[in-house]
Amino acid sequence: MVRHSAARIGSACVASCALRRNSMSFVKIEGIGKVYEANGDSPAVRVLSDVNAEIAEGEFVCLMGPSGSGKSTLLTIVGAMNHPTEGRVLVDDIDVYGLEDERRADFRREYLGFVFQQHHLLPYLNALENAMLPLATTQLSTREKRERAVSVLEKVGLADKGSRLPNQLSGGEQGRLAIARAIVNEPPLILADEPTGSLDTKTGHEVMEVFMKLNRQGQTVFMVTHNPENSALAHRIINIVDGRVA
Amino acid sequence: MRISTIAFANLKRRKGKAIFLAIGIAIGIGTAVALLSLSGSIKEEIGSQLDRFGANIVVVPQSNSLSLDYGGLSVSSVSFDVKQLKNEDANSVLDIPFRNRISNVSPKLLGAVGVEGREVLLVGVDFNSELTLKRWWHVAGRNPEGEQELLVGYEVARALSLIEPSAPVVEPHVSHGGTHDSSEDQFQFKIVRDRIKLADKDHQVAGVISQTGGPEDRMIFGSLPHVQALLNKPGQLSLIEVSALCKDCPIEDIVAQISARMPDAKVSAIQQSVRARSETVERLTRFSAVVAAVVLGIGALMIFTTMMGSVIERTKEIGVLRAIGFRRAHIIKGLMIEVAAISLVGGLLGWAAGLLASWVALPYFAETRIGFEFQPLLAIAAIAAGLVIGTISSFYPIVRASRLDPSEAVRYV
Repeated sequence: MVRHSAARIGSACVASCALRRNSMSFVKIEGIGKVYEANGDSPAVRVLSDVNAEIAEGEFVCLMGPSGSGKSTLLTIVGAMNHPTEGRVLVDDIDVYGLEDERRADFRREYLGFVFQQHHLLPYLNALENAMLPLATTQLSTREKRERAVSVLEKVGLADKGSRLPNQLSGGEQGRLAIARAIVNEPPLILADEPTGSLDTKTGHEVMEVFMKLNRQGQTVFMVTHNPENSALAHRIINIVDGRVA
Repeated sequence: MRISTIAFANLKRRKGKAIFLAIGIAIGIGTAVALLSLSGSIKEEIGSQLDRFGANIVVVPQSNSLSLDYGGLSVSSVSFDVKQLKNEDANSVLDIPFRNRISNVSPKLLGAVGVEGREVLLVGVDFNSELTLKRWWHVAGRNPEGEQELLVGYEVARALSLIEPSAPVVEPHVSHGGTHDSSEDQFQFKIVRDRIKLADKDHQVAGVISQTGGPEDRMIFGSLPHVQALLNKPGQLSLIEVSALCKDCPIEDIVAQISARMPDAKVSAIQQSVRARSETVERLTRFSAVVAAVVLGIGALMIFTTMMGSVIERTKEIGVLRAIGFRRAHIIKGLMIEVAAISLVGGLLGWAAGLLASWVALPYFAETRIGFEFQPLLAIAAIAAGLVIGTISSFYPIVRASRLDPSEAVRYV
């Protein structure tokens, strides 16, 4: 585990570091191992071994490592989508994989916002509807859902593009829309899997600015990235090599 | 935004596939509706045609006496009969619990009578009942109206020189139901004499029944009270013919009920026609059901494969929904709403198309033409069948979709 921003923060951040230390336990990754079972001709593959990490509330942590090192697998494990072979993940002291399947879906809705590299927006819903998507299964009224979606579109600078379909938006706008969808249910933790990976430099910056803004507002961000420019913006970097924290 | 919003938005996007599925269901349901409507209508027609064959129950007195022949049935001779049927017995047939199944009761008195030097079988009937029962009779002349008026069978009329062959020969027109036709050109004969001496009394011949090939060719029909008076048997009957409406008719039960009302009478069902009708209808119904089941099965397979394809195509989308917190139940609900909407449209279309098809096809299978009669039960059954088939055949693909591992599904593309 590398405290990337420790030198930059230095002694000037004693108070804030103390606060962060107090809440260090927001995400706990304890002894995570993952083996993908043999499938047909493919042999069983161990992707992660004894991964331990912690993320504090309000922290912006980047997960870096070479291709195939297990970054995305770790992100999906933290994202309550991929059962680990060993170890456990605690988010807000909730043992994520101790929950039964449907409760884990509820957990994802309540606690997590996921931003995918390909954004994975639903092409037949307009921007407003895409932003509203995680609220579809909640008990909120239609008006409340709409108000929240409009509010997050404003946050990511897409207030005037709510009626557009995803294919009518630029790459950067699609990225921002994916972020809007991830934060509409006000989750305490945002997980992002190379959110700028498919974008050019300029639009990549646009998207990163949104993440920074959200983090400044107190949102915890855990992001997989290959891009050193992105990781330079994070408080801390976790490097992972061959399935182990380096 | 609700789950249904997503489902309907998706249907709108995949219009082609939705229409294809709806048409598939419509073809299945339409075929079933058409076949069932057709077989139902044909069933009705066969039923009513068989009912038109006349009586399917005959009541005769219990007797070991010498009998006269009437259409292959043994009818006791008047002179030896000790347990004579009475006029009141005809009324008591209508007192049975299944009286609403009785369409016609035709009492008769039979007896030999001298007509211009010949012995002829004279039958006293209630003309209204008799002509309703014997719908295949074609009467040249008119139906009898007065007490003294007679209807004469073809052979008797010929023997008594009441008729002569006429030319040109024109086939009798197909108006059934014992109706008389004043246009004698439609018969192969013409009436040349309309008065005969029956039991030494002058009688008016109202009409002659065209040749049927049956026993009536050799009979003379008069009104029942008049014949009873002529034969000196006031209030007495030789037999009662009963016509029970035979669509799903419990003929044995009707026979049992009449027997209970008339313990001194022998009540017989003409089983043959009933059995033949039942077997024909059964075969037709079975055939329709099998064909409908095959077509519906093919439709279900088509829905299954289309839904499987659709689920595979939408793996990523389903993965995203699972990743952002949709429960398996939410995925199932969304997909079920889509299937239900398609099935509903398919069921409605199928019902309408099936009715139309049966309406168009019926004249090729039956004489009658049915009108567009709204049958709520059929409509409900068609829509329900569409929903059931759509749901059942989509069930496995939908459950499979809900079980997709979100991380795998998102990684899939």
